[in-house]
Amino acid sequence: MSEQIVIVGFGPVAARLIDELMPAVRDGQVSLTVVGEETEAAYNRVLVADLGVGRTTADALALSDAQALAAEGVDVRLGVRVRRVDRARQQVILTDGTAARYERLVFATGSRPVIPNLTGINPDPTSPVLPAGVTALRDLRDAEVLRQAVDGGKRVVVLGGGVLGLETALAAAEEGATVTVVHNGPHPLGRNIDRGGGAVLGASLRQCGVRMAGNARSTGVEHNAPDGGFSALLLDDGSAIDGDLLVISCGVRPRTELAEGCGLSTGTGILVDHRLRAHHEPHIFAIGDCAEVRCADPACGQCRTAKGPSGLVGPGWRQAEWLAEYLTLLAAGTQEEADALQELPPEQAGVVVLKARGMNMAVAGDNGAEPWDEEALTAGAVNGRPRLQIAQWADPEHGRYVKMTTRGGVLEGLVAVGMPRTAAELVGLFERGAELPADRSLLLRLDGPDQLAASGPADPAGTVCRCAGVSGARIQDAVEGGCSTVAEVSKATRAGTGCGGCHEDIKGLIEKHFQAAPAA
Amino acid sequence: MTKSADTHCPYCALQCAMTLKSPAELTPASEPGSVPVPAQAAALAAAATPLLEVSGRDFPTNRGGLCRKGWTSATLLNHPGRVTEPLLKGDDGIHRPIGWDQALAMVTTAVKETRARYGKDAVGVFGGGGLTNEKAYMLGKFARLALGTSRIDYNGRFCMSSAAAAGMRAFGVDRGLPFPLEDLDNAGTIMMLGSNVAETMPPFVQHLKGVRDAGGLIIVDPRRSATANFTADGGGIHLQPLPGTDLTLLLGLSHVVIHEGLADAAFIAERTSGYDAVVRSVNAFWPERVQSITGVPAELIRETARRLADGARKGGSYILTGRGVEQHVDGTDTATAAINLSLLLGLPGSLRSGYGTLTGQGNGQGGREHGQKADQLPGYRKITDPAARAHMAGVWGVPEETIPGPGLPAVQLLKSLGQPDGVRCLLVHASNIAVASPDANSVIAGLRSLDFLVVCDFFMSETAAEADLILPVLQWAEEEGTLTNLEGRVLRRRRALQPPAGARSELWIMARLAEALEAPSTYSEDPETVFEELRLASAGGLADYSGIDYAMLDRGEAAYWPYPAGSTGTPRLFLDAFAHADGKAVMTPVAPRRRRTPALNTDPAAKTMTLITGRLLEHYQSGSQTRRVSELLASQPEAKVQIHPAAAASMGITEGSFVSVANERGQVVCRAELSTAIRPETVFLPFHFPELESANRLTEAATDPISGMPEFKFNKVWVRLAAGQATNQPQNSVLQTTEAS
Repeated sequence: MSEQIVIVGFGPVAARLIDELMPAVRDGQVSLTVVGEETEAAYNRVLVADLGVGRTTADALALSDAQALAAEGVDVRLGVRVRRVDRARQQVILTDGTAARYERLVFATGSRPVIPNLTGINPDPTSPVLPAGVTALRDLRDAEVLRQAVDGGKRVVVLGGGVLGLETALAAAEEGATVTVVHNGPHPLGRNIDRGGGAVLGASLRQCGVRMAGNARSTGVEHNAPDGGFSALLLDDGSAIDGDLLVISCGVRPRTELAEGCGLSTGTGILVDHRLRAHHEPHIFAIGDCAEVRCADPACGQCRTAKGPSGLVGPGWRQAEWLAEYLTLLAAGTQEEADALQELPPEQAGVVVLKARGMNMAVAGDNGAEPWDEEALTAGAVNGRPRLQIAQWADPEHGRYVKMTTRGGVLEGLVAVGMPRTAAELVGLFERGAELPADRSLLLRLDGPDQLAASGPADPAGTVCRCAGVSGARIQDAVEGGCSTVAEVSKATRAGTGCGGCHEDIKGLIEKHFQAAPAA
Repeated sequence: MTKSADTHCPYCALQCAMTLKSPAELTPASEPGSVPVPAQAAALAAAATPLLEVSGRDFPTNRGGLCRKGWTSATLLNHPGRVTEPLLKGDDGIHRPIGWDQALAMVTTAVKETRARYGKDAVGVFGGGGLTNEKAYMLGKFARLALGTSRIDYNGRFCMSSAAAAGMRAFGVDRGLPFPLEDLDNAGTIMMLGSNVAETMPPFVQHLKGVRDAGGLIIVDPRRSATANFTADGGGIHLQPLPGTDLTLLLGLSHVVIHEGLADAAFIAERTSGYDAVVRSVNAFWPERVQSITGVPAELIRETARRLADGARKGGSYILTGRGVEQHVDGTDTATAAINLSLLLGLPGSLRSGYGTLTGQGNGQGGREHGQKADQLPGYRKITDPAARAHMAGVWGVPEETIPGPGLPAVQLLKSLGQPDGVRCLLVHASNIAVASPDANSVIAGLRSLDFLVVCDFFMSETAAEADLILPVLQWAEEEGTLTNLEGRVLRRRRALQPPAGARSELWIMARLAEALEAPSTYSEDPETVFEELRLASAGGLADYSGIDYAMLDRGEAAYWPYPAGSTGTPRLFLDAFAHADGKAVMTPVAPRRRRTPALNTDPAAKTMTLITGRLLEHYQSGSQTRRVSELLASQPEAKVQIHPAAAASMGITEGSFVSVANERGQVVCRAELSTAIRPETVFLPFHFPELESANRLTEAATDPISGMPEFKFNKVWVRLAAGQATNQPQNSVLQTTEAS
């Protein structure tokens, strides 16, 4: 008998869950219903800004194929929402009046953009109606709005100095729009980055043609465009930033109202335990942006330090993979058998990597402490726990900045601006929890030009021809013995008879000999 | 008497052309006698004057070039350690010479008794990618008809099976390079993944000159290998992904190609299927995410994708894979990802671009076509295909039902040694499984649990040392035959020398045994006669040799398969169509799988690191041959573990320190070689060495679900300074003392 699973939401995280559940669907162990609010199957929301500046196509964003899923027996319902969940009868009621029964229900409702309180914008947080010329850049239609502005070389104002706002701004500027980023605080990415990194980042953004308006508090929008649309963002100092399109990028908030409506516990998101189950409800699960992993046990150490949903897609995908395995085990066997599956390990602090061309930045973890900040460095260093150590490199002139915050040699925070290889290496070390080399400067040199330098044979005893294993000394002997061309040296010593890569070196040795000869 | 023969090198799949000449005065071969047991490999390296002079011969692949291995190959012909008589292991464990009649009778009896007691599948055969086409073909026939067993597979399962499975899936046929090697000369961009040709087949590097001059060489390797160094000074780009993340990197490259509009839409529409699913599958791998997983900067990923696309529009782009990306539990999917990328760019089936895999072993190509594989019949036919079975039954003159069904792939075959329902009597040909197989300790235990082990070899290899009976066979310069090189070109191997009196060809051995076992069909000991039979057997198959004969090869004609009778062969495959029924190439979406959690490090003093294994220029495969060449051994006498100075410093390891590299499967103790060419969390070991230096004691026998390829390049190990290593004791005493413990 197959287990009836209903997934509410059809975004990237739901798509991964569906993919992972498909083997069980094909085996007939699971029958699956997916409810998606948009008329499209899942697409890659991470790339909506790229679509908005014309760097990719809507077709290329697809993550799922609704028709292919339907052909395999998945009940895919698009363009419809769940009106309510009837937990007593284990069914969901949809806005089109139909219902779907479930034995397991998975919330993957994601999040919605935070719309700040601005005069001129409807303040209802659950269904904001944005005026013409204002977008939150969340779906394919929003991308189309941005696309028109960029193609027309219009003025774009980005409200918010978070990573998504910066990515949108950079891409739009590079594709020809005039872009201003409005953010509070002295530098962008205020929540993640430290002062030094933020300063270098801001300067780099300006160099890429993005205008930065920092320490700004916005109060309202002005609609004086000919079509009645957006014309300027008003700031609390009375000034205004003119533009043709306002992109609101002020973060996201989990969509929990449906879960709240059926009586599930919520915090920032829908509260789930380490098996992604809603509190006190073994039939309901939540994953992705809408879920907050925080179990009902007040003594749980993991949950004491847990943060809310990250808004990043990586953790959601890992949850989807884990949950698919768990649900498959549940469908195939008993609760006990499924519970033998190791619980989902806690997520590490998220890594933010700026998606941009011509600019590189990665930040992760806690970067607040400065190298000379004794108080911050020793805080938490109790019971033999090592203190924090900071290594820092700043070269604002060339847009380069690196900060490594470590405890016991393992990264707790990192900032890398303008150093791609170092950034890639540090992110890897951070994610693996691996120990850094004691000489931290090793990590700074990865972007240096000396890294790929061929190890030329300076030492005469060294091997010149690796293929045949011939040393420089033997070649010199051959030259002194009368060989005056590469071919002659090859014949006498076999040097240069393999890949031929050392012909230049042999030639050099011959020339050196004949140049030296008259002097000798 | 001076005799000269034009032949090809005994070692790798490049099959460099060489000429063998007898010097005017021959040094007599050493007298056959008792053979020393190879406890001290160094002592075995011969210094005798070679019987033949080797010189490079002009040929499109090697252009007269040879590497050290080729130059010194003739020293093995009269090596004092050579086995020249059948050797039987006594109760005291010592091998002593016996006559051929007695040896063959013992094999016959062992086979018959095993069959009677346990059934036909209790007799197994393990072949090798170094066998000539004739021998590989005959071994498959001998196993299935004379022994009646389905249990035959070969060491190519450890090399080419993943790329072969991926090629089959995508193109409908698997020929390593579906184009002549010279095509690479004019390419604008070449991306090589997991292949270190500068060490493994140096003369190949000549074909990279053009692309290096154009700045278009892209090397993907976690190590800054000798080949990766070619990208320095404007030669190209070196991408250094974390071990085990090649698949993700390839998905990232495909992502960029799709999203930046670099794909060849017309090619995709006309010549491929499966595009939409691939688009969805790579969507989640945008460059910054791939950077986080692989450690390769996003900008380099984009630049690489653009260079590949740019090259495809200009001089031509090639994507080549090697064992580094294929020898994984997801090797087939990784090769598939490389093929998908090449298909998105429209590379395969074009005159100036393409995808290929670089075959490793000497006859790694021909050896995988003619029936040594557990699931295969000659001509690259499937053993489960009724039409293929009927065809072979016709050629062999036997009822179809006498041909057994599919057997077990190599790793499973070796795991079954000595097990209930497993193989009890094993015949090994051209393979040193005690060193070259994953989880080598388990394999050795399996060999020791057999009722009877027969090894055909010309040296006392580590596998031969385990054998109840060793049958001495011929070396390359003593035999006639054909091999198929990495391009799918069939080459002639020619005899330059009379073999030692006591050595025999495997063809002769199989013919005698078949006779004694009263086997159906015929078993010729003449290579040309066997090739004529192979022509008939392969006719109509994917790897069709029916239009090729010795006379044509002796005239120097370039014969690339498929070469049906009446055709002129196929230097370039896929120009008009791919080998699937609809003529299209199939793109299959692939994704990284989660890996098994490795065992916990139980040694608090050791650091958990990632082990990758590979090769050195001086040695070939298990080193059974090259460790006996004094010049090569002098240059690389022992295994050294390559480790980054930063990692070494944290463990107190200095250059030359003895280091213990261990995990739940075994332990290696060898000297450290400090190098910044390796990533700090990774160590590298060559796999050419035996006993306590045997890298494969650490590799896991986990296999790719499609190809059966084991995991050679991504194993967790625990690394520390070896205990009591402060004294600079000679290597061999370390070997023995630790071996005893």
